[in-house]
Amino acid sequence: MASPLISNPEASSDRSLESKKKKRKKTANQNPEDPTRWKTRAEQQTYSSKLLEALRQVRRNQPPASPEAPPRGRAVREAADRVLAVAAKGRTRWSRAILTGRLKLKLRKKKPRVAVAGNCRSKKPGASIIRLKEKRLPALQRRVRVLGGLVPGCRKLSFPELLEEATDYIAALEMQVRAMTALTELLSVVGNDAATSSNRSPPN
Amino acid sequence: MERISCFDSRSEGCKDDKQEMAEDSFEFGDGILMTENLLQEATVPGSSFTALLGLPANQAMELLQDPLSGKPQTVIAPEMWRDSRSGQEDMRYTFNCSPTFPTDAALVERASKFSVFAAAQNSTDKCPVPSNSNENSLKPKSEPADSESNPSSCLVSSDPATPSENQASTKRKEREKKVKVPAKRSKNVENESSKAGEAKDGEKLPYVHVRARRGQATDSHSLAERARREKINARMKLLQELVPGCSKISGTALVLDEIINHVQSLQRQVEFLSMRLAAVTPRIDFSLDSFFAAESGCVTPSSCPSTVTFEPLMWQQQQNQPLWEGDVLQRQMWERDDSHSFLAPENFLFSYNSANSVPLSSNHLKMEL
Repeated sequence: MASPLISNPEASSDRSLESKKKKRKKTANQNPEDPTRWKTRAEQQTYSSKLLEALRQVRRNQPPASPEAPPRGRAVREAADRVLAVAAKGRTRWSRAILTGRLKLKLRKKKPRVAVAGNCRSKKPGASIIRLKEKRLPALQRRVRVLGGLVPGCRKLSFPELLEEATDYIAALEMQVRAMTALTELLSVVGNDAATSSNRSPPN
Repeated sequence: MERISCFDSRSEGCKDDKQEMAEDSFEFGDGILMTENLLQEATVPGSSFTALLGLPANQAMELLQDPLSGKPQTVIAPEMWRDSRSGQEDMRYTFNCSPTFPTDAALVERASKFSVFAAAQNSTDKCPVPSNSNENSLKPKSEPADSESNPSSCLVSSDPATPSENQASTKRKEREKKVKVPAKRSKNVENESSKAGEAKDGEKLPYVHVRARRGQATDSHSLAERARREKINARMKLLQELVPGCSKISGTALVLDEIINHVQSLQRQVEFLSMRLAAVTPRIDFSLDSFFAAESGCVTPSSCPSTVTFEPLMWQQQQNQPLWEGDVLQRQMWERDDSHSFLAPENFLFSYNSANSVPLSSNHLKMEL
C-alpha cells in the first residue's frame, strides 16, 4: 500500500522537477532584477514549498504556547515575509532589509526596533504637532517619503531607485498573495475533506 | 572622395533617408545655430556646419578647434544636405566610413583634450586609443542608453561600417547626434572648466549623451535634469503598468498615491491571509495524516493520469484569477468539483514537495499522533 503511494510522488515529482529545470533555465537567462520573474509559475511553486516548510517550522516551534491567533498570525506573517525575501535571492534592497531586520530583532530583543520593515514611523507627524508653523513638503516629496516607508529598507533612497525597488516589491507581494491564497484554500479544503471523510468512512 | 562615394552608395540604399535627413537637419540647424552663437572662437573652415553633421566626433572636434573661416554660417537647408550628399566639392573633409577612428596622432591629441574623451579616459583609466577604447567606452553607454526613450539619450554606435543597409540610416543619425553633442560639450569646456564634462547620469556611466530638442535649453544643468527626468519617467511607466488602474491617471503625485494605496492594500492582504493560514495550520498535521491514510486505498489507481492534468488546472485557475483589493472571501468564486478538489490537493502537495519529504512527513506525522 505504501509503495504505490511513494512511486506516484516520485513519478510526478520527476516530471515537475523537469519542468522546473526547464523553467529555471529560462529564468536564468532573464535579468535577475526583472520584476516579471515573480509571475512565473516556478517562482510561485518554489515560494509555496518554502512557505509550507516554514509554516511547519512555526507550528513546531510553538505547539503548546499560544492558543490565540495573534501571536501565531504575526509569526506566520513574518515567516511569509522572510520566505519571500529569501525567494528574492537578496538581489533587491527590500529583501536584504527584511532579512537583516529579522536578524537585528533577534540580536537585540529589548531595544526598540529600529529598522524593521514597516514598523517604525518617522517622527514627522509627532514633530508637526509641536511645531507652530507646519512646513509642508512639496506634495510629491511627501508621497515619496510615504512610499519609502512602506517598502522595507528604502527610506533614504533616491527617487528612481525607490521606484525600481517599489516595482519589484509590488510584483513580489502580488506573488505572495497568490501563493498564500492558494495555500490557504488548499489547506482548508484538505482539512474539511479529511474531517468529513474521517467522520463518514469507517476507520480502517 | 572614395569615402564620400561610399557614403553615397549607402544612402542610395535607404529610400526614406532623405526625409529623415531633412527633418534631422532642421533640428540640427536650430541647435547648431545656437551653438554657433555661443562659439565665438572656433570657426569652421570650408563649408558650413552641414559638413560637421556628417562627421564623427573627433573630426568635428578638429574642425571646431581650427579657426573658422569667414564664410557666413548659413541655415542648414535640406537642399544643402542633398548637395553635400551628391558629392559637393566644398566638402573637404572626408566622411569616415571605416570602423576605426582616424589614427592621426595630432588628431588624437586634440581629441583627447576634449571632455568627451577625457571622461572616457577617466573611466577607462588609460589613454584613449582611438579605435578600441572608444568602442569599449561607448558600447556600454549605448546599452543602458538603449533603454531610455529615444529623444532623451543618444546612442553612440562605434561601428559605422556595418554593412546592413537598414542600420545605415539609424547609424547616420546617431553619428549626427554624437557630433552635435560634442559641439555642445566643447562649448561647455570653453565656458566652464572641466566641471562641465562631469558625469550627468546615475547609471554608472561616465556620460549620457543627451540631445537637446528644438527650442530647448542646452546648458549642462537642464541636460542633466532632462536625463534624470527621463529615467524617472521610464520607471514610473513600469510601475503604472504594474499597478492596475494607474495608466489612466496623469500626474506623478496621483500615480504615486495609487501606488501607495496598492502597496498598502497588498500588505493588508498578506496580513489577512497570514491570519487565516495561522487559523488553518493547526489542522494541517491531523488532516494530512488522516488524508494520507484515507487516500491510499481509493486514490492510487486514478491518480496517475490525473497528476499532470490537475496540477496545470490548479495553476491555471490561480493565474487567471484577477487581483482584487479587500475582501478575501470573494475567492470563493473559484468553481471546483468536489472530486477535483479531493484529488488536486494531493497532487498539489506532491508536486510541491520533493519526493523524499512527503512519505517522510507522513510517517513523521503518524508518529506524532
